[in-house]
Amino acid sequence: MSDLATALVFWPAAVLMLLTGVYVFRTSSMARAGLLLLASLGIEGLIFLALASEFLGVLQVLMMSGEMVIMVFFMVMFMADPGGLMGMDMTHDKRRSAGVAVLIAVLLAAVAVLTDWPAAMVEGDGRSIEQIGFEVMGRSMFSFLFAGVTILFAMVGGIMLAQQGGRLGLPAPAGEPRDETERER
Amino acid sequence: MSNWTPLAVLAVALAGALAVALLEQLVGGLRPAPIAILRRAAALLDEPLSAPHRPDAWLYHLAPPLLLAAAMLALATVPWAPGFRGIDLSTGAILFSAALAYVSPAVFMAGWGSGAPLAVLGGFRFLALMLAYAMPLAMVVTAVAAPAASLRPTAIVEAQDSVPMLVSQPLAFVLFVPAAMAVALLPPFDLAHASAELGGGALGHYSGVHAALVGLAQRVLVVAVAGMTVTLFLAGWHGPLLPPAVWMVGKTVAVATLLLWGARRVPRPPLDWLVAWTWKLAIPAALGVIVWGGLVTLLFYR
Repeated sequence: MSDLATALVFWPAAVLMLLTGVYVFRTSSMARAGLLLLASLGIEGLIFLALASEFLGVLQVLMMSGEMVIMVFFMVMFMADPGGLMGMDMTHDKRRSAGVAVLIAVLLAAVAVLTDWPAAMVEGDGRSIEQIGFEVMGRSMFSFLFAGVTILFAMVGGIMLAQQGGRLGLPAPAGEPRDETERER
Repeated sequence: MSNWTPLAVLAVALAGALAVALLEQLVGGLRPAPIAILRRAAALLDEPLSAPHRPDAWLYHLAPPLLLAAAMLALATVPWAPGFRGIDLSTGAILFSAALAYVSPAVFMAGWGSGAPLAVLGGFRFLALMLAYAMPLAMVVTAVAAPAASLRPTAIVEAQDSVPMLVSQPLAFVLFVPAAMAVALLPPFDLAHASAELGGGALGHYSGVHAALVGLAQRVLVVAVAGMTVTLFLAGWHGPLLPPAVWMVGKTVAVATLLLWGARRVPRPPLDWLVAWTWKLAIPAALGVIVWGGLVTLLFYR
């Protein structure tokens, strides 16, 4: 793509991405928040594509759909008020979380600006995919496996916590069967 | 890619959708009536839109275009003949999965936005099913891409000039076809909008242009998954004597007929049974398919 075409995609997409990102926290419904986050991250995939990072862009577009769908699904399983009918607030512990968010944003921006990025162009036609493959299965294998197993533990733990009675296995409120096996009995 | 490419993809989509509608009639034992189909589609465009008065109605209005966009993008990755394809990326096969990944949010948005209990239920049923099916679909594509050493659909077709992937990776095909039927919203996987159970479900409230878009998107999805099945497993445009495009179209029509025939003949299983067996059987089998694909690649394709 020419520089002009890249700029024409990049800037509007970046603005739209940030706007939808902000609205994730302005809405009162988890369904809306999940879909807005999907929009934001999907548009980020488009930005990757506009910057000629084909593999990352396509992967981002693919994975974000899957992940946000999982999020929408989990929040309906876990939340008492997924539709936001009772005016839920997306932000908690406002002052401290805002402080942490600003700090991280400044740090990331500093990293982005201060790093001496290589200016070389990536050669096209699948070479970069091959290189990413060797990176993931080689030098970076440990970090990827660590992240994967951590996420798996988090998911299993989340489901355990969400069970009726929680991780302590508290009895269900009177009159309600605790789980499937008890219902059958 | 020329300036005409988007128009060509649109033409393939419209012609393909009409062909799928005709096939639906044929498979259903009706006399194919193209004029009646077009007349019904034209009548839909005249209908007024139904609009739910709910806070999330914008999702309801956004879902049909998103569904159609996902279907068109998936269709654009299918190569129809050497040099005739919509999008030719070195990651085309992933782009196909990525496009199809937006079918489930679109169906969910349709159900959630309309705000009716059965529609919301239909949306969630489809999410549950597609969460289970997304993994086999993506893993199978990876396994089939391994012998070609490329994720470019044209390269995958060229890797099959002697042996189709159906022969070298039969289990991948067995996993891919139901997943493709599910993502194309075909019965017996039409849990989102099963008319007998949910009265139209997530997609049941649409009328007018919305309904036309949804109907078009559903048929384009069938064309896209049938075309990609041929590309990945049935050697694409390869074949003796006849020109490549004729082979490709013929095989696609055959696969689409098979899908639609199966859709009419196979009973719809309950959701929990289907999801349980997908998680317990299809996903481990898909991992096995990746191992098999790697072995086949190392032994025969290097």
